Order: sequence, then C-alpha cells, then structure tokens
Amino acid sequence: MNLVDVVVSIAAVTARALLGRRRTILMLLLAGAPVLLGLLVRLGGTRPGALPSALEGLIVSSVLPLVALVFGTAALGSELDDGTAVHILTKPIPRWAIVLPKLAVAGGLTALLLFPSTILAGILVGGLSSRELGLTFAYAIAVVIGSFVYSAIFVALSAATSRGLVIGLGYSLLWEGLLSGALKGTQLFSVREYIRGMASALAPRGSVESVVGAYGFVFAAVSIVVVTALASWRLARYEIRAAE
Amino acid sequence: MTDPRPTDPAGSLVAPPAPTAAALPPAPPAPPTPASLAANRSVAPTFVQVDTSQPIVLERVSRWYGNVVAVNDITFALGSGITGLLGPNGAGKSTLLHMLAGLLRPSSGRVLINGRPAWLEPSVYRQIGLVPEREAVHSFLTGRQFVDLAARLHGLPDPAGATQRAIATVDLATVADRAVGTYSKGMRQRVKIAAALVHEPTILLLDEPFNGMDPRQRLHMMDLLRSMAAAGRTILFSSHILEEVERLADGILVIYAGRLAAAGDYREIRRLMTDRPHTFRVRSSDDRRLASAFLTEPAVFGAELRDDRLAVQVSEFSGFTRIVARVARDAGVRLFEVAPTDDSLESVFEYLVSRR
Repeated sequence: MNLVDVVVSIAAVTARALLGRRRTILMLLLAGAPVLLGLLVRLGGTRPGALPSALEGLIVSSVLPLVALVFGTAALGSELDDGTAVHILTKPIPRWAIVLPKLAVAGGLTALLLFPSTILAGILVGGLSSRELGLTFAYAIAVVIGSFVYSAIFVALSAATSRGLVIGLGYSLLWEGLLSGALKGTQLFSVREYIRGMASALAPRGSVESVVGAYGFVFAAVSIVVVTALASWRLARYEIRAAE
Repeated sequence: MTDPRPTDPAGSLVAPPAPTAAALPPAPPAPPTPASLAANRSVAPTFVQVDTSQPIVLERVSRWYGNVVAVNDITFALGSGITGLLGPNGAGKSTLLHMLAGLLRPSSGRVLINGRPAWLEPSVYRQIGLVPEREAVHSFLTGRQFVDLAARLHGLPDPAGATQRAIATVDLATVADRAVGTYSKGMRQRVKIAAALVHEPTILLLDEPFNGMDPRQRLHMMDLLRSMAAAGRTILFSSHILEEVERLADGILVIYAGRLAAAGDYREIRRLMTDRPHTFRVRSSDDRRLASAFLTEPAVFGAELRDDRLAVQVSEFSGFTRIVARVARDAGVRLFEVAPTDDSLESVFEYLVSRR
C-alpha cells in the first residue's frame, strides 16, 4: 500500500476542512494582531534590548498557542465530533498515517500565518539593524518549529479527549503561561522555553536568555515524536461516542 | 393458572440458548443444544453457537458505559446473506455494529471478523464496509471526491475506476460532481454506501440504511443489497422497522434492551410475534356470561372483570381473533368492542426477551 498517497490524501482533505472561510478570517486577524501591536510599540518609541520580550509577549506566549490550538484541535477533534472521522478511521491504514498529516497541516498553517507575522512585528519593534534583524529571524524560525510542537500537542489532546479545546486552552494558559514562567524545573517541559532556546541558539550571541539553549531543537523534535506516537496510540483505541 | 407461554416446538429459534435469567457477564456459559441448531441448518444465514469460521462471530459480547449495559451477553455467528438487526431505538443496535466495525471495544467477550478480533486491528477494514447512521460527510467534497478518498485510503490500484463503479452502483453518476453538502438525505446515504463499497468488501455493515430514502431509492437499495448478498457477501443492517427487515432479510436478529431476543428465520420470528400471549379488552352486552363462555375455550386461559370491562388473557393472538365472534354468538352475547391492550412493537420485544 502506498502510504504516501494516503498521507497526502488525508492532508488535502484536512487542509480544505481547516480553511473554512470564518476560521481563516479569524486566524488571519489573530496573526495580524502582533503586527498592529508592533506598530503601536514603534509609534510609542522603542527601547534597545526590548525585542526578545516583545516577540515573546506578542507571539510566542499568546498568538502562537492560540492559533495552533484552533488548527490543532479542529484538524482531528472536530472530525471526531461531527462523525466525519469515521470515514477515515475505518480504513486499513496505520493510525500514525492519520495523525501525521493532521499534525503537518495544522502545524503548517500555523507556521504559514505566524512566520510573516513574527518577521513584521520584529521589524516594527526592533528595526532593520543587522543584530535586531538576526534576532527577528531567529525567533521566526523558532516559531515555525514551535508551531509544529504545539499543533502536535493539540492534535494529540483531541485524539485523547472530546474536550481538547478547553483542556488545550487550560494547558497553554496555566502550564505554559504561569507555571513554566514561575518554576524553573518545569521549563524543561515547556514549549515556550524550547522556542526561546532555539531562538537563543540562532540569534546573535548573548541577545536571548534561555535555560535549555540549543537543546531546544532536541526537546522540540523529541516532543513531536513522542506526542505523535501517543496520539497514534490513542487514536487506535478511539471509541466512537455513542449516539444511543 | 396455566403457563402463559405457548408451547413452542423445539428448535423454532435457531439462536444459541441464552444463559439463564438475564445472566450478567460472570455467569458460566450455557452449553449449546445441538438439536436446536441442527434442526435449522437449512436457514440462511445460519446462527450457530460459535463457529469461528464464519465471517462475523460474536462470542458472549457485552458492552457497558459506566454502569449502563448497552449490549448484554450476545452470541451469534453470521454467514453470507442478508441479516436484519431489528430492535427499537436505543436497543443497542448501533453499539453492536460499532463493535463489529472495531470502533468500540467490547467490555467482555470477543468480536471476530473473519477469525480476527475487530478491535485494534485496522486490517479488518479491508473486508468491512461500514455505513454509519450519522449523515456526516466532508460536505465540501463532491460525491466523486468523497468516494475517491475512500478508494485511495484503501490503497486500491485504480482508485478512479473503482470510484466510477461504486458511484454507478448506487445510481449517483448524474450528481457525482456536486458538493456533498448540496445532497438530499437519500443521496448522502447513497454516497456513504458507495464509499463503503468501493473496495468491494466481503462484509457490509449498515446502520439504519433506509432512513431518509424515498420509496424508489429504498427499492433500488434493496435490490443492490440483494445482488451483493447473491454474490456471497455477508450483509448486516440495522432497522427499527419490521417491514424493512421482513422484505429484505434472510435472517433476523432481534435485539431489545441490549439482549438478543430472538434470532433466525424471519417467518419464524414473525409467527412468534403474532402468536404470543395477549390480553384483549372486550365490551359486550353481557360480560359475565361471555367470560364464562371464553373460559371453556383452550386458547383462553384467563378472564376477569375489571372496571366494567372484561379482560381476556389468551395464549395466541391470532387464535383468539378466530374464535371470538363464534364464542359470543354461541353464548348469545353481543360484542361491542374487542381491542388488544399491548400491541406496540416494544411489548413484542419485551415478550421475546422474557420467553428466552
């Protein structure tokens, strides 16, 4: 069996489902928000060295998890909810071949929206000097990888529970937002910290502080693999929610 | 008072005997009674205790949600042919079909598709086509794209050709390039069937397939299922409508409140449903005299006067309707009203469960 064809077919249907008009407009608005805020920061006058915290506040800890949450839970969760997933589940294919294209499309769309958003916001806040530009691109690349990590987590959450959206929101607000900022030990399990680590490795030396540093790449890769495996395991045990 | 149950000839039911008195899972398995099985070998499809060579096998299968039992200790095996899964809404039909399709884990017992467990085994989908009851399809796809997706996910060598054949089979060629979202209920049903057929499965599971179809589509679909059965396929469809099952199925499984109430040839089950003990309400010019006249009849085993009404308990529904007029005339009593008291399908199912 040609699994490439399977993965591509599922990815194509997932992409069309995710790009419904209302959701797309909403996500474009969300991704545009950091750019507008960046403009406001610019008009208010910028301080040197403010770029990393500005990008983290505007994108990494706010818009990125939100967009990934919407795409990630919609990619699998809404199909499981409305019953269309049954047509895909009742096929003789390994479950990872269902999870992988869902994750790839959700992560890809998130990255597609947030890469330009990061670049524009970064340029508005930091300007075009080579050091600031380097920092902006470092964050943009880290955000792209982070899009896939977050999407993997949210796809897995919607495979595991019918309340993927609520739990995902709770996770990004409580775990990523509060705990991992307050407690040092939890940063090893924080996507936000991986993104900061990857950015610190890519950015000009000394411009970003990070606990994990370049290991952020390793942690991000391992997270994607582990979470995808868990999602596939869980999807194989998926039980249809009874209508009767 | 005599036993209200009709004396039933041995082997009229082909299903394996249920464990005693609503046995919950811990009860020991009941031994098969070879006589009752052998008596009906000719009926197709056959229901046997556990013949694991059959395409569909359920062995003492139960499924519960929390402490609600949806399917309770069901055993049967199905061979080729069309079998109707009959029962009122909420009886456990969908739960049963979903377990067969590997979409629900049995809480106990085994579900086998061609000898392999359906749960955690995606390869069974090579042999299964499932038509779920829910209408949900990706509404932005055209009918052709939807069926083509199924063909590709099955890894068929010629997805476009298989799609074309499946669409022609369900008579959707004229609208195949319209978005599924614009389809009528009956068209959606048919496009789901086309997607379930595209890999030519040996087993077809359909959950309430005739819902939303108009009479012409219904006939077409019945013909289609018959021709698929004639080609040696195993077809199991659920319905809460007796007439649908009667017109299409070779065999019936009756399920009520999660239990297998009856299984076998539909004529037999139809007879059981009609010739069951029954209570009639009778009003006449002289209820007292009529009651004593009834009591001399073998078909009647009880008569009592309640609230100025005569309630007559009979062992056979149809037997009583044949004698009631004669008895009244012979007794010189005028009948004003004869009405059965519990004629709902529900009460029929309840009776079938109680007599097992």
